[in-house]
Amino acid sequence: MEFSFTEEQLMFKEQVIRFAAKEIVPRCAEHDLCGEFDFQSFRKLGEFGILGLHFPEALGGSDADVVTTVLAGEALGEAGLDGGLTLAYGAHTFLCADTIFTHGSEAQRKKYIPKLASGEWIGCMGLTEPGAGSDVASITTRAERKGERYVLNGNKMFITNGPVADAAVIYAKTGKDLKHAGVSAFIVEKGTPGFSSGKNLIKMGVRSSHTSELIFEDCEIPAENLIGMEGAGFLMAMQTVEWDRSALLAPFIGGMTYVLEKCLKYAAERYQFGRPIGRFQAMKHKLADIKIFIEAARSLCYRIAWCKDQGRPLNHLEAAVAKLFVGDWSLGPANDAVVLHGGYGYCHEYEVERYFRDSRLAPIGGGTSEIQKKIISKLL
Amino acid sequence: MNFDFPENQEAFRSKLRDLLEPAGGPCTVRPKEKAPERVRALLPALADAGYLCIGLEDGKNSADLLASREVLAALSPSLFIAVEASTRVFGRLLAVYGSADQKNEWLPPLKEGRLIGAMGLTESGMSLKDNPFQTKGAEDAEGFRVTGTKGHVVNGPVADWMAVAGQYDNGTAFFLIPNPSEGFFCEERLPTLGYEEVAVSPVTLRNCFVPERSVIGPFPDDEVLLRVRSWEDEILTAASLGLMQGALDEASAFAKEHRSGGKPIIAYQEVAFKLAEMLTLLQTARLLAYRAAWMAESGHKEAAVLAHCAKVFCTEAAEKVTSSALQILGQQGWVLGNSAEKGYRDAKYLQIAGSSSEISRMKIGDLLLEGR
Repeated sequence: MEFSFTEEQLMFKEQVIRFAAKEIVPRCAEHDLCGEFDFQSFRKLGEFGILGLHFPEALGGSDADVVTTVLAGEALGEAGLDGGLTLAYGAHTFLCADTIFTHGSEAQRKKYIPKLASGEWIGCMGLTEPGAGSDVASITTRAERKGERYVLNGNKMFITNGPVADAAVIYAKTGKDLKHAGVSAFIVEKGTPGFSSGKNLIKMGVRSSHTSELIFEDCEIPAENLIGMEGAGFLMAMQTVEWDRSALLAPFIGGMTYVLEKCLKYAAERYQFGRPIGRFQAMKHKLADIKIFIEAARSLCYRIAWCKDQGRPLNHLEAAVAKLFVGDWSLGPANDAVVLHGGYGYCHEYEVERYFRDSRLAPIGGGTSEIQKKIISKLL
Repeated sequence: MNFDFPENQEAFRSKLRDLLEPAGGPCTVRPKEKAPERVRALLPALADAGYLCIGLEDGKNSADLLASREVLAALSPSLFIAVEASTRVFGRLLAVYGSADQKNEWLPPLKEGRLIGAMGLTESGMSLKDNPFQTKGAEDAEGFRVTGTKGHVVNGPVADWMAVAGQYDNGTAFFLIPNPSEGFFCEERLPTLGYEEVAVSPVTLRNCFVPERSVIGPFPDDEVLLRVRSWEDEILTAASLGLMQGALDEASAFAKEHRSGGKPIIAYQEVAFKLAEMLTLLQTARLLAYRAAWMAESGHKEAAVLAHCAKVFCTEAAEKVTSSALQILGQQGWVLGNSAEKGYRDAKYLQIAGSSSEISRMKIGDLLLEGR
């Protein structure tokens, strides 16, 4: 086994960190506090090339490999981006745009990818419903074919970027009595009659990303908005999962690196009992545990990225292991970071408080820890 | 980046497996008196296979070395500790710090598996950093007289040669002493909670004569001691992976076979989800250990931090994984003679020996805070 990055990859990572630290990070705390989506920063991510990194140049991307793409996500976290913005980026690029790119027609690619890659349009993906979360096959949103159109009816829930998205990838049942095999994917554009979003949900963390219900009431879309074939939607949803569990996890890991840096600085500067608290064994142990988590989690993420770069499809086990580990094992170190900061750690001004709230999503979003255990135990 | 084993490494791993499997898996209860014979019998075969030479002369960890170690550590945890203590602690000391004459004398039999070595390092109440050894070497005609006591020497009762660390001339020296020797007393083998096939004993030296050509050092600072510690830590990290693999294999086989309420117990989430967590810990630990090994090999600037991270994470994960395995096996696990109960007892050693979990965490903290 060999774990090196190329010189170019490492240089690119530095560039992303410099760019994000200068242009975006100074705006994060404010947007987190107000629970506001930062349109300006999102567009800047597009201008810099982050949003479409792995798409071909002809479609507005940079042809980056998956490892580089995941590295960019880690760099955003390491620079200090809040979990809300990195989540918005993840939902946009991987759950929405990549599904259109990977499974869509040439016409769909040409129409949507350049706009999504540049950040001119914002994307979202709708799979979860008020009554169907972990049990994907039980979704009840229906798409009925009527001549050259599909008519969508149903509700989607907890949709990241829902209130701000211009284009949505929506999973709905086309086969009446079918389970997984009845799921199909569609593109629905903002402003389509019968399509609306609910109010922005107030969340514990990732507050700068907007999350809402999506409502479809006799929403008619052209038949050409079907992605791929009828009934192929479940597989598409499963493929995004790998992205979910590599590219979307990487900012959490980068974020923990940022948090560790904050902790080290605080531990060196904060004096109690006549010495920096970093000299106390109990504090050193916390710093160590944060570091151990980062290093343990990192390789799991890059393993999925590397497998994807080798052209290996659907690395379910690797993806589930990474998601379970990052989700469940990040909570302790995130808590340690708050504890190390004492009373200050409980205050918004010290960013560990935000990270603590943001990281609580890791074992919930994109497949809960329990679902990961279910997947892993089936593969044993 | 490459997460696969290269083909030649995979071939070497199967060769090791073939070599070891006839020797019996890890879960047979064996009388502990047989341990020395088993180590002695296995060494020449491991030498023939090329196992003993990997990472010996350069004293370096590597992904190659770990890939091989993992196999032995899973198939025979106790033999693994005994073989590694001889080869890659005692042997490496000679290979890295010994003179040309010393290497000529001791390395060939060691590489051929004809010699068992041991390292007498730890003393009661010492700390590598602040507390010098109580064991001391005094100059004598054509050599030294060594006096002192070492608490827990792995391979102590079975070693042909022992390197005893002691103070001389305000530095640390290693005195190479054959067993038996005059003034060299290997005490009763200590009964231990786990790894009971590893022979551990205290060793006492009273005016034991060591000729000048059998001394390595003295070294003015503690660099050499930290290096020896890091060799131990590598071994314990690899040992963790072996214990976890053995326990997971045993528990998942049991969960598929054993039925309760009309179905195999793996059909229950309380069992299946435990197995999922165990596999997650094992895979995470493995990748961390391999990355640490790769960093050591490539001279990465964070190699020292990662080695400690891997030691803490892997050894603590081993306790959790073996404990869950034992829980899954239930009453059957409680009866001696399975990888889960044995691994559970063994695992504690890994967090205590080498740099303890506490010391490792302190080192990580110190390295991170350096220069602040």
